[in-house]
Amino acid sequence: MNTHLNDGQLRAALDNELPARERQHLENCAKCQQQQEAVRTQTQRIANRLEFLSVETQQNQPPVRAAIRSFYDRKLPQKENNMFKKLFASSGFRLVAVATLLLALVVSIPSTRALADQLLSLFRVQQVTVIPVDFTGMQQLSGNQTLSKQISTLISSSTSVTQKSGEPVDAKDAADASQKAGFAVRLPDGTAPTSISVLNRTAFNFKIDRTKAQALLNEAGRSDLLLPAAIDGAVVDVNVPASVSTAFGTCPKPSPEDKGPDMRGSMGRNYPDCILLTQIPSPVVKTPAGVDIAQLAQIGFEFSGMTSEQAAAFVKTVDWTSTLVVPIPRNAATYEQISVDGVTGTLIQRPADDAPQYALIWVKDGIIYAISGLGADTQTAIQMANSLH
Amino acid sequence: MRNAHYTESIFGPMKQNKTELARPETGNTGLLPDLFDALFAEHWPQVYRAVLRLVGDPAEAEDLALETFFRLYQHNPANGAEFNFGGWLYRVAINLGLHSIRSFKRREHYELTAGKDALEDTPENRPAEIMARDEERSAARSILASMPTRQAELLIMRYSGASYKEIAVALDVSPASIGPYLLRAEREFEKRYRALLREEL
Repeated sequence: MNTHLNDGQLRAALDNELPARERQHLENCAKCQQQQEAVRTQTQRIANRLEFLSVETQQNQPPVRAAIRSFYDRKLPQKENNMFKKLFASSGFRLVAVATLLLALVVSIPSTRALADQLLSLFRVQQVTVIPVDFTGMQQLSGNQTLSKQISTLISSSTSVTQKSGEPVDAKDAADASQKAGFAVRLPDGTAPTSISVLNRTAFNFKIDRTKAQALLNEAGRSDLLLPAAIDGAVVDVNVPASVSTAFGTCPKPSPEDKGPDMRGSMGRNYPDCILLTQIPSPVVKTPAGVDIAQLAQIGFEFSGMTSEQAAAFVKTVDWTSTLVVPIPRNAATYEQISVDGVTGTLIQRPADDAPQYALIWVKDGIIYAISGLGADTQTAIQMANSLH
Repeated sequence: MRNAHYTESIFGPMKQNKTELARPETGNTGLLPDLFDALFAEHWPQVYRAVLRLVGDPAEAEDLALETFFRLYQHNPANGAEFNFGGWLYRVAINLGLHSIRSFKRREHYELTAGKDALEDTPENRPAEIMARDEERSAARSILASMPTRQAELLIMRYSGASYKEIAVALDVSPASIGPYLLRAEREFEKRYRALLREEL
């Protein structure tokens, strides 16, 4: 070999990573050896500067057993909580979340009636089902600002609000609240509320643009999920009746937005004794006859991280004619069914990173009830629910 | 120039784990839970140590190492029956470490820590050479974080003790190209280091 080695080869030679033929040339070539000295000087300088990358630290490293416990007990719940908060922090997403949730309530009514008005109507919600979802599966949304912006744009351009709820109005007692809200409001025995607020009804509709929605799914890396052609151009009407929020203890002012008062994080710590009782008649959703809600629900669950088999199995277990499906973060919340107010309710608890929270949800006579609060004292909530009149 | 501190691969045991591509009953990792736990147990020490050396802060290193495994939990990177999980985890850990150094929050933390250290460790009770060494390390970390990612990855891998073959697999390049790439990355590092020194003067 007569060609002299280049600096890259000379650099590799310093690491004993040169093939035998070139190495032999170097051993016999004074010019290459001289040039290698210049390379060596620089390399030695860099090696000194980056020496810390190879020095074993004196710090004790967390043992594997403790680390894996941290992963499951701390990291995973923290991720799910963050994802949950991020998802529900976006106003556009909240609107769609409400719509999606309500779509899950859609009732299959007799085909004759569907044919009559080409619409499926929502009947009263009769039960609640909790579905633990691994929200980390939607992490790709939080890390992709372009995608998040595109989703927000699609939602805002497709949604038309026909009735705004406006600011909440105060009611002086149950009778006043009933009169303002248009349904019989119930309050618990023995506990005086600090405030009763009535939020007027909200109505909106959105038109589904299948092409754009599919493009976003593709962008999110889920081109395997195919939206059905039948949904293109479908207009979904959502009508949310007036709701009544009753506060016990010191609570934040109710928000006109659909998420209710924010009791998370530091704000939550400011209201340790706050308990909120919310009651609302079942919302109504109307969709065109060709829209298969179960199919859309399956796609949604798959997008959130379920396998196709898991989503299909879950969709089959739900009675889509009367069930409110509430997704909860799988690793960051627990739930149980309990008897409450003469029916079966669901108690959800989130041992969150900053403050534990609970929510007790049940449905009775077409009204959805929810009692939520901070801390782990769920007995008060259950007693309150059982004393409603 | 091979680092003498290392007798085994920095990517951990070099056996390539056979992956089960079936989905688990729960979760979205794409890995069976048992396999994920096994990979965690097998690679945690290397991943933690690598990221600790890079960022220099134990608490931050633990969080970044956990984040590295979360990426694995979230998405199965294996694209075949055999996959070098150790190399993949190592590369993810390096990039998370670089990102951490780059981020404004991290810089702020460094500055606050530096300020606190300066208050607590006055020159009287802190040898000048240790202070100088810490400053040099801090400068080197900043420069690595400011470099093109691929060059920074290459330098970190090499100066952590990885062989050309290991680097080639991790970066998906031929082993013969590592020498020239490395030389370019070192020249870039040196250029930036000198520029930083000039700024400080």
